[in-house]
Amino acid sequence: MPSNTRGVFSLIIINKAGGLIYQREFQSGLRNLSTNDYLVLAGTFHGVHAITRSITPKIPIAQPAPSPTTSSTGTTAPTASGYSYPNPGVPVSGLDYLETDKFRLTCFQTLTGTKFLLFTDPLTGSVDTIIQKIYELYADYVMKNPFYQIEMPVRCEAFDRHLGAWLRGRA
Amino acid sequence: MRRTRVDKVNAELVTLTYGTIVAQLCQDYDSNYQDVNKQLDKMGYNIGMRLIEDFLAKSGVGRCANFRETADMIAKVGFKIFLNVTPTITNWTSDNTQFSLIFEDNPLADFVELPDDGRAQDELWFSNILCGVLRGSLEMVQMQIEAHFVSDVLRGDDTTEMRVSLVRYIEDEMPPEEE
Amino acid sequence: MAAPPRHATMQSISNGSTAQGTDRPQTQQTPQAQLSQQSPGLRVPSNRKTIYDRHLNRSRNAELSRASFAFLFGEMVTYAQRRVTGIQDLEKRLNEQGYPLGLRLLDLLFYRSTSTSSSALSSSSTSSSPPNRPLRIITLLHLIHGPLWRLLFNRAADALEHSVSPDTPNEYMITDNDPMVNTYISAPRDMSMLNCAAYVAGIIEGVCDGCGFETKVSAHNQPTELWPSRTVFLVRFGDPVMEREKVLERAGVK
Repeated sequence: MPSNTRGVFSLIIINKAGGLIYQREFQSGLRNLSTNDYLVLAGTFHGVHAITRSITPKIPIAQPAPSPTTSSTGTTAPTASGYSYPNPGVPVSGLDYLETDKFRLTCFQTLTGTKFLLFTDPLTGSVDTIIQKIYELYADYVMKNPFYQIEMPVRCEAFDRHLGAWLRGRA
Repeated sequence: MRRTRVDKVNAELVTLTYGTIVAQLCQDYDSNYQDVNKQLDKMGYNIGMRLIEDFLAKSGVGRCANFRETADMIAKVGFKIFLNVTPTITNWTSDNTQFSLIFEDNPLADFVELPDDGRAQDELWFSNILCGVLRGSLEMVQMQIEAHFVSDVLRGDDTTEMRVSLVRYIEDEMPPEEE
Repeated sequence: MAAPPRHATMQSISNGSTAQGTDRPQTQQTPQAQLSQQSPGLRVPSNRKTIYDRHLNRSRNAELSRASFAFLFGEMVTYAQRRVTGIQDLEKRLNEQGYPLGLRLLDLLFYRSTSTSSSALSSSSTSSSPPNRPLRIITLLHLIHGPLWRLLFNRAADALEHSVSPDTPNEYMITDNDPMVNTYISAPRDMSMLNCAAYVAGIIEGVCDGCGFETKVSAHNQPTELWPSRTVFLVRFGDPVMEREKVLERAGVK
């Protein structure tokens, strides 16, 4: 379905420290953001992401004697031993996506702390699959390139080429 | 865990390439094997910091709940993917922070005989790069570990054993320095 | 000629393919026979897990993850880069790291081409006929283009050409449209001349030298739109090789 496979607008990659290390637009017609805008966007998103992680509410650990489950959000005392995240098996994530009428921003943070932000049409389907594939291409053509220095801006011709080709192949 | 196609190459090319790396180091460091060990560990560390992304991207595994799970992940998924071997996990300490990996097979050391100079068998850890790889990759997922070989069949030992110890979980998310 | 120091580089760590008599298939042997083969100074594990106790064809069809190769090769490049001053220097170093592989793989190729399946078991250690080493340039180049490439990369190279220039009859070109070693590598813009397949050039050089063909081999970027990392290995034989080639030609040696 065309509406499912098209609509990938742009990609940015943010390193662990919140620095913008990659930015690419896949379609013309996007409002042009300056490099500075992107840097600010990366830094801001990184901060907001961290905040959303830290404000994740905790709930009291269920006691043998049932007590009324107050929604006390221990934002300042995350170490309180009597509280736990809802669904303790699932790790705490930060902001996963932002959406407007016109676009959706999906964030995928790897376990190493690198963030992939994908801007798509709100109707674009299987965004998770797209991001997963981008992560694999990154693992191949960025991480295995001896001339790439970790945490630094990504300038890898083979990554650009394969990323472009793969997304074009989907369209 | 997701099952993905793993691209393959001839195993002998990998073995010989690792061999030529170690041989080059022995030459560059004038057969000072302690320095060679250190350099191999450093190279492994650099590899580990990159390899972890490949591991995560291709395996699709999530975060481990504890260090015992981490050990399983290293032995049964990590070594399986990258070296097609599954070392045995053994000798846990009671606090679950240290274990050993016993290697029945080690493709890196296929066809290898250490130099017969009266020192290499006492000083060189031929596969030391693997210790660095573990250190580098686990550091990227917020675990500081220490790893070293305690025996090696290349030295005439009956087994090849690596000892791995958890030092601490890293809380902050600051990027590590590249060595 | 760089031959003496190069051979010296491979003495220290021996990946056994050349260290041992490769024309001698390893079958079940008595402990005494094994003992006589081992360097007396080295300790061996009690279960005798040494290179002499394992069949040389054990890893013949074994495969490993391409990622592992890429990470090792990448780290080799990074390490080499720290110790050199320019692109040529870096390529020279990668070439030198590939060279010993060529010497070893040559023996492995001959061993495997002579000891096919059943004959490996039946032939006794001394009576098997010596392997046919190439005597002529073209035989050698076919060995590289076909069997060597297949051993390393599981396919033949893409082209083999002779220089058309009358000034350089000693130059041959082996083309690989998509060298496996460069799959994940993007050289920075200011190093666009660099080709890390210099490592493979070194392997080729080792094979040629091992056969007694003094050669210089270099790797060059020749991208096309379809094959962005297409690489041409320029093989330049030395004058003595060309002289000998003429003599062999006259003598009708194939």
